[in-house]
Amino acid sequence: MNRIKNTMAELREKKEMALIAFIMAALPEEELCLDCIKALEQGGCDLLELGVPFSDPLADGEVIERFHHRGVEKGLNLRTGLDFAVKVKSMTAMPLLLFSYFNPIFRMGMDKFISECKSAGIDGLIIPDVPLDEMEIFSAYDIEAIPMVAPSSTDERLTMADALDPAFVYCVSVKGVTGVRSLPENDIKEYLQRVKGSIRSPLALGFGISTPEQVRNFQGHADAIVTGSFLARLIEENEKSPRLIPGIMEKEFAAMKMAAQG
Amino acid sequence: MYPDNRGYFGRYGGRFVPETLIPALKQTEKAYLEIKDDEEFIEEMEYYLKNYVGRESPLYFARRLSQECGKARIYLKREDLNHTGSHKINNTLGQALLARKMGKERLIAETGAGQHGVATATAAAVLGMKCTVYMGSKDMRRQKLNVFRMQMLGAEVKEVNKGSQTLKDATNEAFRDFISSFEYSHMLIGSVVGPHPYPMIVRDFQSVIGKELKKQFMEEEGSLPSQIVACVGGGSNAMGVFYPFLEDPVELTGVEAGGMGISSGKHCATLSEGDDGILHGALSRLLQDNYGQVMDTHSISAGLDYPGVGPEHAFLREENRVQYVHVSDEETVEAFLKLSETEGIIPALESAHAIAYAMKIAPSLPAGRSLVINLSGRGDKDAEEVARYLGGMKNE
Repeated sequence: MNRIKNTMAELREKKEMALIAFIMAALPEEELCLDCIKALEQGGCDLLELGVPFSDPLADGEVIERFHHRGVEKGLNLRTGLDFAVKVKSMTAMPLLLFSYFNPIFRMGMDKFISECKSAGIDGLIIPDVPLDEMEIFSAYDIEAIPMVAPSSTDERLTMADALDPAFVYCVSVKGVTGVRSLPENDIKEYLQRVKGSIRSPLALGFGISTPEQVRNFQGHADAIVTGSFLARLIEENEKSPRLIPGIMEKEFAAMKMAAQG
Repeated sequence: MYPDNRGYFGRYGGRFVPETLIPALKQTEKAYLEIKDDEEFIEEMEYYLKNYVGRESPLYFARRLSQECGKARIYLKREDLNHTGSHKINNTLGQALLARKMGKERLIAETGAGQHGVATATAAAVLGMKCTVYMGSKDMRRQKLNVFRMQMLGAEVKEVNKGSQTLKDATNEAFRDFISSFEYSHMLIGSVVGPHPYPMIVRDFQSVIGKELKKQFMEEEGSLPSQIVACVGGGSNAMGVFYPFLEDPVELTGVEAGGMGISSGKHCATLSEGDDGILHGALSRLLQDNYGQVMDTHSISAGLDYPGVGPEHAFLREENRVQYVHVSDEETVEAFLKLSETEGIIPALESAHAIAYAMKIAPSLPAGRSLVINLSGRGDKDAEEVARYLGGMKNE
């Protein structure tokens, strides 16, 4: 069993929802980013999703898109992302997921990329522009690749995701890009119910989730919550006093953790 | 038969988009395969192409240009004479009719030079659909006339001032819209790019160009042309004119935008200089850095200013079926002026790339050789840009 599966199983045992934070690697500055990650872990974050800046992030909405462009302008890329992951691993215990669009990985070459991931201690991958049909790219490698499903996914697609037997399935909560407001809660619950009918793996709900209330509402419906755009916005809103950001993040996550514990 | 059922042309193509979009792409593919051979649809399409677009487009023997360039006979396939002024309308009408069959009420388009945006806005107007066009800020400045035209046609033009501020980022933004709105919107991609089934659909709708040309040339000369030359950005006009000739002994040449020269790095000669990569949903050739970040490109023509290219072109290049070359901004402007002066036809800057290449090789071609240039669009929209370019040259 891999580390992500372990963590999900442990939390499930405790009837606790897992909190997954999405942070863009090394932004706005490397040190501050590391401080934020430590603070998130302190606050109760269970898994970390580390984003690699890409020039054409077409699955991302405005806020995270701005971080992609900032990252690219600073010369950040998959190489710097992997190097940054090593630093993250050295100071946190959370399982680590790497989020990257596919082209940088393709450019590096799959063999090299996977071996780099292994040596950086990356436990899993989220590749937003590799849909289920193309996920066999990863099947030859011993790495956890997280499939995504959406409200538009047909039962046939859900069955495909189930067949991969992943550590969890990422359930997009909106009909749109990241940062877009979620569907009405009841619709999401219905959607999760439908997904559960076809998928045995734990479900992580993401896109537009950021408050303890939301976490509480999805208790028993999802096994994990992913928070991304909310953290990016927190960074943007507090950039004039960057030192405060880790503290704010810790507090927000602590409140969500309370809710996650039911 | 290409593409295969997963959307691959050899190793190129596929569907690299968020899972959210897959149902929309499957729906489009299914609907297209249903209507493509449906008589009623074909009749409707033919009606619009004939009575609305003005097809077939003439095949014109460019006597004076031929004489000036040497011994070869140079013909122009006059897509510039289509309604809205370019080949783009062949595809937008087809896809708009397809969208209507799927019950979609709104069209989303990306545009570089604005020709595809205008053609989409036009199709939306005539079929009574809503239309949103995404266009980069840089392109809105250099193609002002087309922005006004789209607005007059009732389309909403959304400015994209992120990243390159050109076609690449306009396309990203159109995809984001599509991801959020596919239940009632159809993304009307304007070139043979994007995830399956777009490269196939756009190619099929554009191949009316090549089919007509084959018939016209046979009537004119009783044979096939020796060579066909077309400009390539994403590659829709080239794919449309090449496709019906792929099995024939005809030399096919795609001309990319060499911009300020390959060594300057300011160009968009994707097939000549790029590597395998994934952009906008397809695995194809791509201008990118060592880390897979997509590069900013340059061309005097907004319509070719794009770092990617259709996957079928990548395949035809690898198979050595089509030869891909490039010409510079300077050679393009020269050709733009030459065609205007010798034939009284002002070509689009995009198409002027094909003319420039033809002018370059014609002097060394033997007598008896015939060469067809796909004149994909007219150049009214570019008069200002060319004047600016020439003014800049004088000031240097």
